[in-house]
Amino acid sequence: MDNLWKNTDKLFFKVNPSLKFLCFALLFIVYLFVHNLNTIIWAAVAFTFLYTWAAGISNKISFWFFLTTFIVSFFSASAMILYGKGTHILFHWYLIQISEESLARGILLGLRTFVFGLISMLFASTTPPVPFFYSLMQQLKIPVRYAYGCLAAFRMLPIMAEELVHIRQAMKVRGLTRKKGFGAFYEQFKRYSLGMLVQSIRRAQRTAVAMEAKRFSMNSERTFYYQIGWSRSDLIFLLIVSVTVVSGFLLSRWIPLTPFSNVIDGY
Amino acid sequence: MSSTNEVEAWGVSSLRLAFPEKQEMFFKDLNFHYHKGEKILFLGPSGCGKSTLLQVLSGLIPKSVRLPMKAEAISIPESWGYIFQDPDTQFCMPYVDEEIAFVLENRKISTTKMPELIQKYLTMVGLDLADPHQLIHSLSGGMKQRLAIAGVLALEPEVLFLDEPTALLDPEGTEQLWQTVRKIGMNRTLIIVEHKISHIMNLVDRVVLFDNKGHIIADGPTSDIIRHHRRELDAYGIWHPDAWASYENRYSGDSMAKTAGKPILKLKNFSVFRDKTVKFSVPDLTIREGEWIAIIGENGAGKSTMIEGIMNLIRHRGSCHWFLKHPEKDAAFVFQNPEYQFVTDRVEEELAFSLVQEKMAHDQIASRVEQELVRYSLEAQRDQNPFQLSVGQKRRLSVASSLIDQPEAVILDEPTFGQDARNTFSLLDLFRKLVENGTAVIMVTHEMEIVRRFATRVLTIKQGRLIGDSRVADQNSGREGEPDGQLVEEHR
Repeated sequence: MDNLWKNTDKLFFKVNPSLKFLCFALLFIVYLFVHNLNTIIWAAVAFTFLYTWAAGISNKISFWFFLTTFIVSFFSASAMILYGKGTHILFHWYLIQISEESLARGILLGLRTFVFGLISMLFASTTPPVPFFYSLMQQLKIPVRYAYGCLAAFRMLPIMAEELVHIRQAMKVRGLTRKKGFGAFYEQFKRYSLGMLVQSIRRAQRTAVAMEAKRFSMNSERTFYYQIGWSRSDLIFLLIVSVTVVSGFLLSRWIPLTPFSNVIDGY
Repeated sequence: MSSTNEVEAWGVSSLRLAFPEKQEMFFKDLNFHYHKGEKILFLGPSGCGKSTLLQVLSGLIPKSVRLPMKAEAISIPESWGYIFQDPDTQFCMPYVDEEIAFVLENRKISTTKMPELIQKYLTMVGLDLADPHQLIHSLSGGMKQRLAIAGVLALEPEVLFLDEPTALLDPEGTEQLWQTVRKIGMNRTLIIVEHKISHIMNLVDRVVLFDNKGHIIADGPTSDIIRHHRRELDAYGIWHPDAWASYENRYSGDSMAKTAGKPILKLKNFSVFRDKTVKFSVPDLTIREGEWIAIIGENGAGKSTMIEGIMNLIRHRGSCHWFLKHPEKDAAFVFQNPEYQFVTDRVEEELAFSLVQEKMAHDQIASRVEQELVRYSLEAQRDQNPFQLSVGQKRRLSVASSLIDQPEAVILDEPTFGQDARNTFSLLDLFRKLVENGTAVIMVTHEMEIVRRFATRVLTIKQGRLIGDSRVADQNSGREGEPDGQLVEEHR
């Protein structure tokens, strides 16, 4: 999974991870309160541009991510579109009722999910875990036990992926995959999860003991191998993100693509 | 205790310790003391409490591993390091340099001094990486263990505790690990728990022998213990230098069926892929009934790839033809880690699993399971969960459950790996019987003693190709296994 980050020279990698984290968390809250369909449309466009420019992962992974985010967004939109309330009915069939209002609300919801997805991915694709947790400890004073605990957990992921392959092969050899049907599926699922769970618990416990054997102490002061500080990149980052957000709001005012400026009240 | 003319000494007096859910105390008034500079080896059957004692001596019990224990007096060295068995679970950081830095951080070393120290410790254990910022996941098991030692050295310990550090390493990794320990252990106190003792006979000067109840039955200079307690060493399954010879002696009259029967598997222009590249290929290979085939070669040569391809577990091309009615069930496969293979919650059900799938009659299944429980000495464990068994029992169960429907061929991936001598020999007994009955036994192994003493045919693999196919192993081709007691003979 550490081969995920292709181009670590990009600007967003040099930004202080805590700043990036707080900044993006703030954006989540901002977009939660946006009820103007035009704003969210322009925000989605702006963040798509930002993502393509700033992300540090390969295009192939980016493509799959876009696809999944899009599908998830579509689903979160569809419920609202199909069953929402509204007065200007466009389409009606039994329980399904599409109105202009519900369509606007649905699209807003879907795009909001999409923007949230973009922002999270922008963060994940430019922030390797080690600097992130070091920064959390240094700038946000997160207790060291949580930070190192999470880092140890990250180390387990590739091991678990390998293990999954082995278990799948073993199931095949034992003939568990030959059986079909729901019962067999449940049985297989149980085996996978039991096997992985047992190994993970054991591994976690061993790692914890090994960490204490290396004199890891949860309370005492410690020094840090990486000093995560501040740089000019942080300012540039803030500037770029502000421009992106503000341009979304301004464009929605200058070039409103739809008449829905507040989906909650109707028009 | 540390007056100038007195050697520093540590240890524990009248130790009592209990495991949860067990009625009896594990140690009853155990005394053990050692002093600075000693190199000590703990020997005993698996489950006799050697590792537990090691953890008590280091203070990990009860500080990190909470077990109820009581001791009249206990003194723990001021600075110590502990090397664990499993190379994968000792680290908490993804990169080599970060892992050593983690220890330095714990010791509050200033950031500016770290890169230099990291390089120093890596050099000490012979890990000369061009760039120490390398993923730990990409290292081999042996390199990981040496990294673990480097991390522990960063603690600048007086005493090193080593808990079966080579149990999960191949022969090459084992050799390098002990070389490293020899080098860095010079001016330190060492306490080692280990089953494979050939490598370290001339490293340790004191041996402590435990029985299966956790009592110390002997404690003295290495050569004395090895000479006078041969019987216990055999009984406890310790890999002493003459273990193989005494096992083979027991079967001297026994002749192996060396005549191979009808073909059972035929490979033609067979190649196996991993990550879209060919990792193993063979133009032509026939395997016959009653053959005991050992597949040997270095790590990464393609041994596992070959057998996984044959078992249709990974992508392959070319022809792989079994001369069997139901290749899926008549060719069994035993994985290296037995736990992956368990599909039920009870030992009995585990054994019955493939029979039930074949829809055999209930009473027939019951009698067959009964028979196998006895044969693999698992009667007492019949109601247990497979995950709760000991290492040796798990291995026996995985073999037993693969073989219960009497396959015509069985492929095993390093079946004796990490097993003590007793378990290894009981597995070998079993394979001998199978071969005598005409089953083809195909095993990947690093243990050259098996290759030399038992295999009827040896396939040597190098860089994804079959470079040798012979009836007898070439004795000079750099033995990978235990060096057959050479070290000890020198020592005497």
